[in-house]
Amino acid sequence: MARLSFAARLHGGAAALLLAVGLYWGLLAVPADAFQGEVQRIMYLHVPSVSTAYLAILVTFCASILYLWKRDLRIDAVAHSSAEIGVVFLGITLATGAIWGKPTWGVWWTWDARLTVTAIVFTMYVGYLMVRAFAEEPQAGARYGAVLAVLGLPAIILNHFAVQWWRTLHQPSSLIRPGGPSVAPVILWPLVFNIVAMLVLYSYFLLERVRLERIRHRAAESRLKRGRRG
Amino acid sequence: MGSWGFVGLAYGVASVALIGYLLFLKGRLRGAREEFAALEREGGRRTR
Repeated sequence: MARLSFAARLHGGAAALLLAVGLYWGLLAVPADAFQGEVQRIMYLHVPSVSTAYLAILVTFCASILYLWKRDLRIDAVAHSSAEIGVVFLGITLATGAIWGKPTWGVWWTWDARLTVTAIVFTMYVGYLMVRAFAEEPQAGARYGAVLAVLGLPAIILNHFAVQWWRTLHQPSSLIRPGGPSVAPVILWPLVFNIVAMLVLYSYFLLERVRLERIRHRAAESRLKRGRRG
Repeated sequence: MGSWGFVGLAYGVASVALIGYLLFLKGRLRGAREEFAALEREGGRRTR
């Protein structure tokens, strides 16, 4: 147990260190963008947040499919944990996008395809967490949640392609696109570094959140045993 | 608000969200550990 918490501390420390280096790189070391100026530095936060949210939703989707197949609550713990962290990163994506939108588009919010689909996905996952919170039986909550999570993946795919399928204010993807990234290396490397830093933070949050679910399950089992004895 | 104001606002909001979530998670972990330890202690006493 002591060794595990040392590993967790090391993991958290590595995430904090990587985020600090990424913060310095994105905020101070990289030159300002020729067109947008300093405000473009929000990209080093916004793009890593949305990448992490996408990964969290993908993990939730895979764990939910596995749960529906195996009916193992340990797998559901991964889906539930990842969905919760995904909501945090989706919230950051929406907030930083609005803050970036004001100086570049002149509005905090517009009903653009990309923004609208992101808001819908965020609402869907808040709904997922509410279903989980209000379900009386853990198995029922896991089952309803898994069905919702399976519906969430097409929404993410739609979100990715929204900028290509519709005319939007939001710029097309500059990283994952045919022909490779369209950004200059001076911008690309700090961006990739910040994505990696955010993914390390996500993995730290995920392990800690799964640990919480495990302790809760063990406590529930212990309560059940006491009930049987009493 | 100037350019740096928007940058500061974005990073500030994200920091509050991430640190807030970390503290919320740590608080729940501490609570769950304490509850489980109390259950185990109580269970041990009953078995004896």
